[in-house]
Amino acid sequence: MIQALPEAMNLILTLEGLLVLTLGTMLGIILGALPGIGSTVAVAMILPFTLTMPQAPAILLLLAIYAGSVYGGSISAILINTPGTPQSAATCLDGFPMAQRGDAGKALGWSTIASVTGGLTSAVVLIFAAPQLAALALNFGPIETFALILLGLTCIVSVSEGTLVKGLMAGCLGIFLSTVGGDPITGEARFTFGQFQLIAGFNLLAVVIGVFALSEVLTRAAAVRDQSHSLVAFNGIVLPKLHEWKGRIKGLIKSVAIGNGIGVLPGTGAATAAFISYAEARRSSPNRDNFGKGEPDGLIASESANNAVTGGALVPTMALGIPGDAITAVMLATLTLHGVTPGVRLMTENPVLMAAIFSGFFVINIMLLPLGMLVSRMAAPILRIKEAYMLVMICLLCTVGVFFVRGNPFDLLVMALAGIIGFILRRQGYPMAPLVIGMVLGPTLEISLRQGLIITDGSFTAFFIGHPIASTLVIAALAMLLLPAIRAVRQRRSAQRESH
Amino acid sequence: MKHLLKTTAAALILISGAASADYPERPINLVAPFNAGGGTDLLLRAFAPHFAEALGGDAYVSNMAGGSGTVGAGALAGQKPDGYQMGYWSVTVSTIQPQIKDVPYDVDSWTPICSVAASPTVLFTNASSPFQTIEDVVAAVKAEPGKYIYGSSGPGAITHLTTVAAFSGLGIIDDMKHLPFQGSGPALQAMAAGTIQFFGDTELLMTRGDFRPLMVFNSERLASFPDVPTAAEAGIAAPLNELYLWGGLFAPAGVDADITQTLTTACETAMNSDGFQDFAAQTSTVLNYRNAADFDAFFRAQYESNAALIDAAGL
Repeated sequence: MIQALPEAMNLILTLEGLLVLTLGTMLGIILGALPGIGSTVAVAMILPFTLTMPQAPAILLLLAIYAGSVYGGSISAILINTPGTPQSAATCLDGFPMAQRGDAGKALGWSTIASVTGGLTSAVVLIFAAPQLAALALNFGPIETFALILLGLTCIVSVSEGTLVKGLMAGCLGIFLSTVGGDPITGEARFTFGQFQLIAGFNLLAVVIGVFALSEVLTRAAAVRDQSHSLVAFNGIVLPKLHEWKGRIKGLIKSVAIGNGIGVLPGTGAATAAFISYAEARRSSPNRDNFGKGEPDGLIASESANNAVTGGALVPTMALGIPGDAITAVMLATLTLHGVTPGVRLMTENPVLMAAIFSGFFVINIMLLPLGMLVSRMAAPILRIKEAYMLVMICLLCTVGVFFVRGNPFDLLVMALAGIIGFILRRQGYPMAPLVIGMVLGPTLEISLRQGLIITDGSFTAFFIGHPIASTLVIAALAMLLLPAIRAVRQRRSAQRESH
Repeated sequence: MKHLLKTTAAALILISGAASADYPERPINLVAPFNAGGGTDLLLRAFAPHFAEALGGDAYVSNMAGGSGTVGAGALAGQKPDGYQMGYWSVTVSTIQPQIKDVPYDVDSWTPICSVAASPTVLFTNASSPFQTIEDVVAAVKAEPGKYIYGSSGPGAITHLTTVAAFSGLGIIDDMKHLPFQGSGPALQAMAAGTIQFFGDTELLMTRGDFRPLMVFNSERLASFPDVPTAAEAGIAAPLNELYLWGGLFAPAGVDADITQTLTTACETAMNSDGFQDFAAQTSTVLNYRNAADFDAFFRAQYESNAALIDAAGL
């Protein structure tokens, strides 16, 4: 890999190569920022344009779109509380409160630096350790995945502090919604009540956009006040100063590691990584009491983790030739169309191309910083329009985005209902993040549990015999659950001691 | 006034009479029932411009994904059979899903236009596994019932039916376990990790990894693997011995014979075009053209024979 780097640089450092990287990253950021157009759709949209391009620029263009769109999702999450993709849902939790109190520029600054750090680290990992990591990921079977998702579900507890019961109810509702549709093991239709449309289940994106964006629009429209001012004050990105990083570096490193690790595993993804990383930060950050009220640590955690996933997801794709998700599957399809056979021999047979792809990926992540600032600056005037108009525009964007994903009008109905139900639930004090966490993690939780039970012939206790990784993860999950209780007891004791 | 009405009526009759001669007057919608960027989508997008050129009109691809392709097919079923809307359905979308799920279409919902691709499926195992031949597999499974696991990309998928055809045909399916995954990618990772021992898919997918073919569900041996027996040679009786991942164009039932003829001819021309042939060569797509009448007969025969497989799979 390293020997091929000089030759690979010749492929990238051409006018065409640099143009592709710059324009691709910028387009990716813009597409990602549009609500509804997630990474998968963005990559698929651009795919036809790559057919007439040479090998290296074609795949670099898709990588640029991919990395750009994962970052771009954070822009709309912070500025208008509309996650462009489920993977930026965790970014809303602290990003939007920051924007509301007038710190939108700062919030984007934190998220940009976090995204760039996450992406760059994952590029380095990809260049130097892809084969080793891919081999390691193979140790992660259904049982280990189940334990990891269990750990992920404990974030429901941490994101619903103060309204624990309501949070758990919302989480259960999310998991329940994810079970509607085809049974992953037997294929039978569940909870469809004879409605053919429900065979495909509820579209995750339609629900996410509904409960975050539409319910926000309804909440604002319902508030009786002057709506002629703009939604948030924003004049471009304000990068955090060096001294502001004090005490946050440790969290950043941890989140990047979580993102990279989860990215490598099959069947998980950026949304899972962002939520697990957010929950971990909420547990261990020195500023944990501010979480949910606009705490930069929360932003750093989710944004560095979801961008770190991009490089991680490429590890099994490039090292084994097996795509981990829909996006990497599109990348492999592109390689095929350009006459490269993806597979276990991909890296040994095409060292120069692979080195060009990996180093191009590194360059793309560096460019996120200036291009992100540029795109945000361009977006600033749009955000200055009156709130009432802005709300209408958000509705339109959501509708177009959700329809675009599957071309299914039923998804629009789902989005509208999710918006209305989300609005009612939020008014009653139910947090919406647990619902989304339940829906994101629900399908993997179910299929990994049931696969595990098939392997162990129906014995749940066998999950913990001879599966050290799974056992460790489950113990960690239990600790996460018990920690708030232990903390509360300790605080009560010390309070009692003081009063005596 | 009366005269005017008469001429208008005459003109209208002329227009409607000339409709099939002027076909196509507006762009034709080709529905891909899977997400943009997937295998079906790519094939259809490569096919569309050549098809449009052969028709002397316009054609565009739209995606309507969900429910293993049934959402797109369900939306097209019962639409006006005017020849302006068609879908590219695979064997699973058109013959398997309607027999295992309550979908709003069945064998009589379509006017088959032409078949485009058909690849035989292959049963394979890890290259590092101890099984050199299918006989080794049968012996091992019989020696230790309940130990070995076969995977699939999901219940009812062609990958599932391939393994079911193999192990049910060999009479050892009750001694094995089935582990469905969400897509071929995660299943192949599990195969590389040793979680599952057997998987069935097209030759194209198999050659990407370090895998060893055990038998092919084709009428004859494959040129690329002359030593690998066909399922019939391995002792599997019809109808389980041949299994193809095929796909073709379907219009809603009731399309005019003239228009069907125009479409099937255009399909053949498009498939023979250099551009589409290049695409097929690059993606190792096995092209297989059948005209409307042949495809109709083939489709109905497949619908029948796959019922036996669905029964064997317990779906």
